[in-house]
Amino acid sequence: MTDQPTIRILLVDDEETLLEFLSKRLLKQGYTVKATFSGEEAVKVAQDAHFDVAIVDLKMPGIDGVETQKRLRQIQPFLQCIVLTGHGSIETALESGQQEAFQYMLKPVDYDNLIISIQKAYEKKMKLQNQEFKEKVAAITTSGMGAHGIRKAISELHKIYGIE
Amino acid sequence: MESNNSLQTELKRAKQELAGYKIELHQTRGYLQSILQSSEDIIFATEVGGMLISFSKGGEKVLGYTWEELVGRDIKDLAENPLLFQEFMSSSLQGGVTTHLDLPFRHKEGKSIYCNVTLINLTNREGQRVGTVGVCRDITLWKKLQEDLVQIDRLAEIGRLAAGVAHEINNPLAIIGEASGWAGMVINDAKDLNAEDRSELEKAAKVISEQTKRCRSITHQLLDFARRSEPEKTEFDVHALLKESVGFLKPELKHTSIEIDFDFMPGPLLMRSDPRLLEQVFVNFITNAIHAIKKTEKDKGRIEIKTLRTDSKAEISFKDNGVGIPPENQQKIFDLFYTTKPPGKGTGLGLPICQNIIKKIGGEISFHSEVGVGTSFTINVPLS
Repeated sequence: MTDQPTIRILLVDDEETLLEFLSKRLLKQGYTVKATFSGEEAVKVAQDAHFDVAIVDLKMPGIDGVETQKRLRQIQPFLQCIVLTGHGSIETALESGQQEAFQYMLKPVDYDNLIISIQKAYEKKMKLQNQEFKEKVAAITTSGMGAHGIRKAISELHKIYGIE
Repeated sequence: MESNNSLQTELKRAKQELAGYKIELHQTRGYLQSILQSSEDIIFATEVGGMLISFSKGGEKVLGYTWEELVGRDIKDLAENPLLFQEFMSSSLQGGVTTHLDLPFRHKEGKSIYCNVTLINLTNREGQRVGTVGVCRDITLWKKLQEDLVQIDRLAEIGRLAAGVAHEINNPLAIIGEASGWAGMVINDAKDLNAEDRSELEKAAKVISEQTKRCRSITHQLLDFARRSEPEKTEFDVHALLKESVGFLKPELKHTSIEIDFDFMPGPLLMRSDPRLLEQVFVNFITNAIHAIKKTEKDKGRIEIKTLRTDSKAEISFKDNGVGIPPENQQKIFDLFYTTKPPGKGTGLGLPICQNIIKKIGGEISFHSEVGVGTSFTINVPLS
């Protein structure tokens, strides 16, 4: 992954031991990882740092996975969420947030499958984001601003879209 | 003259009395006859030694014999366990009436007939025993029903218990999986390991990962089994679904000489049911058929998938020319955790899950198997 930008992953699960090993593995493979142990913490973290993919456990004390991913996307609209569900709760999860999450995966999740989903989620995020970014850039460049104004507007766009 | 007269009156009285007794006897006999003819119970009488001297019509029906076949035979020889029956007979000699709640007789065709048996000692005026009368009520059906109920109850209980355990085990299982994956990575990167230790550790980490996956597949299957959600209803073509299911198993079929033969009724076979559940059943049956064929030394394996349609039902059958199921195993194949596969290969969940699914969508499974010839499973499911 040397040429690619690293994918920024936000992990949300109250099972701390699980996150410890999961984040170590993901870090080792070159992902940028932030582990959080509750929906509330994840929402707070997302206000300061940009992420590409969030992996959210459905069942957590406090706000649950479906609600967490909804709030995360209010802050970062392009963020793709993978929700991990226990068996049997997948139907309820689907009902309450079908359009919102990128994917629902059954726990315990298979690591290799998770990596594949992360890559796909990232691709989707970049596609959506680039599309809108291009539209916005096109809007700015055709707006009749001066060179200075354009540069300033675009750097603001960078900030909004989390592109550093 | 006078004594003659009194004798005459005496005789007349005796005659009248006798006529009265005759009527009474006739009535009693008629009464007994009607009981023996119309009762559905086995009612028999034996002489002292146990030899049959009377047998009710109901008894003939229950055990499949005619009176001509029974006359002169010993009652204990009709019991499934003559020794046990003899013992029961002897123990009943002390009391007047004895009851055994659950004693099996043997039907003429060999099946067991469970009876509630009451024996009554027949004695003459001097108090000597002259024989035995028995009244036996066939409780086979009731017993079967009872067993089925217990079985259903037990299955439901096992399901609930297993689901609970599986659910709780999933989280630690996830951690073991991640930790072993991490260990694998660390071993891979470690610099100061000699080759032998490295390969040992690599192998150990890999085995932990693999076995964790195995556990996960078991817990998922168990949770599927216990899941109570209602099946969905969508319209689909059974033929297309069958072809898809075979498609899933392409990797299994590779490097085998197994031929899949579709013998479909013409046109699509449309149905309103749960395609995902049915697909699970199809894949299971085809997988079992493949395994059964692989167990034989045959060069040419063949799986025939046939469909038929009646007014309201679809019949789908899977016939293989595999090893077949020995008769003694046939009644166990739907038991939870029953498997003939080596440890690690079969969970004993496949067929119980199939049966559960088919019941859920209102259908039935039947099968026929012969060792050395093959097995065919047939499912009948309502079209909507």
